Parts: sequence; C-alpha cells; structure tokens
Amino acid sequence: MDLMYFYLPVAMTSINIFYPIGLGLAVGILSGLFGVGGGFLMTPLLIMLGIPSTVAAATDSNQIVAASTSGTYAHWKVGNVDFKMGFHLLIGGFVGGLMGVQAIKILRAMGNADFVIKMTYVLMLGIVGTYMFIESLQGIKKKSKGHGSGVKAEKESAIGRLLKSLPLQTHYEKSGVAHSALIPIVFGGFVGILAAIMGVGGGFLMVPVMVYILRMPMHVVVGTSLFQILFTCIEVTFLQAYTNHTVDFILAALLLLGSTLGAQIGTVFGRKLKGEQLRILLAGIVLVVTVKIVLELTLTPELLLSQAGGH
Amino acid sequence: MQKIKNQKSKIKIVVFLIFEFLILNSALAGELSAQLATKVNHDHIKIDFFYHGSEVNVSGASALGTDIVIKITSPEVRQILRRKGKAAGLLWMNVGDLEFASTANLYFLYSTQEINDILSQDEMDRYVIGYPALKKHIEVAQINDEDEKNRWFNEFIKFKELSRLYAISFGQIILNQTESGQNYSIKLNWPYQATPDEYLVTVYAVKNKKVVEKAEARMVVEQTGIVKTLANMAKNNGAVYGIISIVAALAAGFGVGIVFRKGGGGH
Repeated sequence: MDLMYFYLPVAMTSINIFYPIGLGLAVGILSGLFGVGGGFLMTPLLIMLGIPSTVAAATDSNQIVAASTSGTYAHWKVGNVDFKMGFHLLIGGFVGGLMGVQAIKILRAMGNADFVIKMTYVLMLGIVGTYMFIESLQGIKKKSKGHGSGVKAEKESAIGRLLKSLPLQTHYEKSGVAHSALIPIVFGGFVGILAAIMGVGGGFLMVPVMVYILRMPMHVVVGTSLFQILFTCIEVTFLQAYTNHTVDFILAALLLLGSTLGAQIGTVFGRKLKGEQLRILLAGIVLVVTVKIVLELTLTPELLLSQAGGH
Repeated sequence: MQKIKNQKSKIKIVVFLIFEFLILNSALAGELSAQLATKVNHDHIKIDFFYHGSEVNVSGASALGTDIVIKITSPEVRQILRRKGKAAGLLWMNVGDLEFASTANLYFLYSTQEINDILSQDEMDRYVIGYPALKKHIEVAQINDEDEKNRWFNEFIKFKELSRLYAISFGQIILNQTESGQNYSIKLNWPYQATPDEYLVTVYAVKNKKVVEKAEARMVVEQTGIVKTLANMAKNNGAVYGIISIVAALAAGFGVGIVFRKGGGGH
C-alpha cells in the first residue's frame, strides 16, 4: 500500500495523486485566465499518464464542471458574466452539438471520421491561434505607439451595418453591445458543431467568436465563456456516464482539487493582465498545441496499436 | 485503515490452492512421477483504494535436475485494438481496428534458463510457451499475409509489454536442493495494470528439452470496498453515477469559490 497512489475504479489503473492534482491546477489557471475549459490540453496529458482515452475525455468533462463553476462564480462576483449572451450562445451550442453528433455518425459510416476530425482540429486551432496572435500583437503595438484604432472602427462599422439589419435586436447590458439575438445563436451553433466533431468543449473557439464577432470586452468574454462551458460540460458528463460509463469519479475528484483552486488563481492573475496580453497568451498556447498535433500526425508513432475507443 | 491492516495480514497467510499432478512423459514417469507441486501465496489480490500492484510468490517442489518454467495467463479473449496507419499517404492516424483472437490479456513467462536452451520448439508450441508459440496460437482477423501477421503480432507484443501485461524473462527462479528433490521459488511484482480476473499459474518441470510434469494453481484479482462500489455503480447505474459526479463537481466548484470569496474584488 502506498498512500501516494490511488486506484481509479473506472480507468482501472493506479495513479500518483500529485500528477492529476498538479495537472488540474495548471489547467484550472488557464481556465480562470482565458475562459477555456482546457480539454484540448488536459485530455492528451491524461492519456500520457496511462488513462484510457475514452475515460480521459469523459472525466475531463466532469472536472471542467467544477473548474468552470469555480471560475464562473469568481467572475460573477466581479460582474464579468453576461448571462443573457451566455444563454443565447448556449441555445446555439446545444443545437449545434446535436448536429455535430449526427455529422460524426455520418462520417464514421463513411469511414473517414478520424481524418476529418484531425484535419478540423489542426485547421481550427491553427487559424484561430494565428489570427488571435497577429491581432493581439498589433493591438499591443498600437497601444504602445499611442495610436487609436481607426481601421478597427471602420471595420466595426461595416460589420455593424450588416448585423444591425438582422431582426431580434437585443441590448446586452453587461457586454455593452447590441446585436440581433440570432448572431450568438448562429455562432454558438457553429462552435457547437465543431466542438462535437472534435470532441472538445469548444472554449478556445467560443472566446474568439465573442471577442472578434460579438465585440465583447475580454474580461466579460472570459466569465461568459466559463458560464457557457459549465452547462455544456454538465450535459457531456451526464451523457458519458449514462451511455459510455467512462466517467472516473476518483480521477475527476483529484483533478478538480487542483482545477477549482487554479481557476481562482487564474481569475486573480487575469484581472492584472490587459485584454491583448490575455489573447496573445491564449494564442501562443493554441499554436503550441497545433504544432504538437501536427508533429503527432507526421512523425512515426512509437506504438501502432492502441486501445479501441476515443480518437 | 483497519481494513487495510486486515488485508495485509491476509496477504501473509500462505494458501495452498490446487495441487495437480500430471505425468506427461511415460519414459521418465518412474523417477519423476508426482514430484511437481506448486503454491501461490497471496492468491486472492484485493484491489482497494490504495492499491498499486502487489507482490506474488510462486513456489513448490520438483524432481532434482529438472528446469522450471512458470507461465501466468488470464483467460483467452478476443481483443480489438485501434490500428494506426498513414492516411492520404502522409499523416499518421487511426485507420481501423484489428482483432486478435485467442489472446490472453496478461502473459508472463519465467524460466530457470533461457527458454530455447531447455525446451524444443515443438514442446513450446504444444504448451504455448514463448512468443513464437504464441504467434502460432493467436489469430489476427482479416490478415492472411504471413509478413503482415508477423508485423502486427510484433506490434501487439510491444503494446502489451509497454502496458506491463506481457513479459518473458529467465534466471529469476531460485532453486534449492532438498533431500527428496529441489524447491523452486520466484517473487513477482504483480502490475496494477492487470485487471480483475482469474489468473492461471502453470508450472512446467522440464528435462531433456521436454515437459515432464505440469502443475497448476489459480489466483483471483478482484475489486473491493469503495473501488468495487464505484465501478459497479458506473457500470450498472450510469444515470445516478453521472448525477452524483455532476453534483459533487458543482459543490466543489462553489465550495472553493466561497472559500476564496474574501479574496475577491473588482479590477
């Protein structure tokens, strides 16, 4: 018997408790800082620790429920959650998720699901990461030179005219923006489809949608994204536990010990950073993950066989 | 903690399981008959909350001058594994499944000397001893080409060895001469990766490149306590298990949020 090790009843493996707690803390900090669930980082790291891929993905959803609750609560206390926008994004995300699940079923029947999933992953991460990185860098440069954002204002007015012509115009007080309610619903749906195809929560896609399309302030984006992720992950956790029996409660408990604390620390740090700084950091992480996936796809793997399940 | 202490004390109790004596070589029957015996201490491994593998001792007696081969296997099953290959000729990803029939999830083989030096290939094939014999025994579905089968069998062994579920080694078995023959014993680190199951320990006494006697014992690995309760609930009562997992996560998230409340503030 070793008190440093816990046996995980669903993953059916033993793990040094410091690994999941440390991992939870690190991903929780990212969650509180950027408003992402961190599934795109946590799941591969859990697999590296010997957790079966299906259990890793399902359990990660469970711990994100805790981390995003902690993060949403911390952001709500300081008035950084736009509940109205969050609900509209959730409606779209829910419908998009259902559509994405159907798309995956069709792709699996056609036999090329893995190829589409991997390509979607690399392209979305690459495009989002690169765009966010360049835009944030320009933002930081402009601010340091003391210029206003004349070009941005022009762009905003062009997009603004298009958005304002749509019905169901709604004022989102907390974000200080006015949009047709259809905008967050449609883009929430778009992220929902991609998230379901890629098997992730979609926080790293939702954040850029809120920043660049919905023009929400970065700090409200983080809180609102966490609020939306919370509900998505509650749904995913239940479905995984009910249909696949792959949620490991003990592993989730160890992860959330770190991630709930990390989310609070991330929120505190986030308040000290500017919007551009937050975005460039997130863009950097997204790009590193993209490079890692590209390397995995191109370098000959050590093992050519793996447990069935997951992708 | 009391439970753990009880389990520890149980581990120390040596349990004799099954003594099974088979005479396999009539020419040697007179001098070797019924001399091979085996016992496994800690034959009932309980997986509890702090389980991180275990230690298993296999020991017994055999006729003087025989070599010993110990094989530990789980029941044979059909295993389906994901196969990686190059999609579109350049990107590595899962390209399908491979089915390995008649395979044990766990296969350990220990011998007093290098296995090829003490057993003929025919005997190894007959008793499925060693990887070449295992290759002939296992069926890889949908693959008829011999080179392809070899390739995927080698990948299968690599995958299992990295998972600590397959191992072959020699020289770890200790032999001690006695008045009536010899005693053998080996101390094994039982991996935590071995799933709950009933495992078969087969001991072969070997002489002149042939198996002359065989004895078997069984050992059970099972989940217990909270590990068993949670595993059963996850499997048989997924909805309740899911709701409990969600409520616990929500409570933990709010709990930490409230603890940090005093530290909060605007920006």
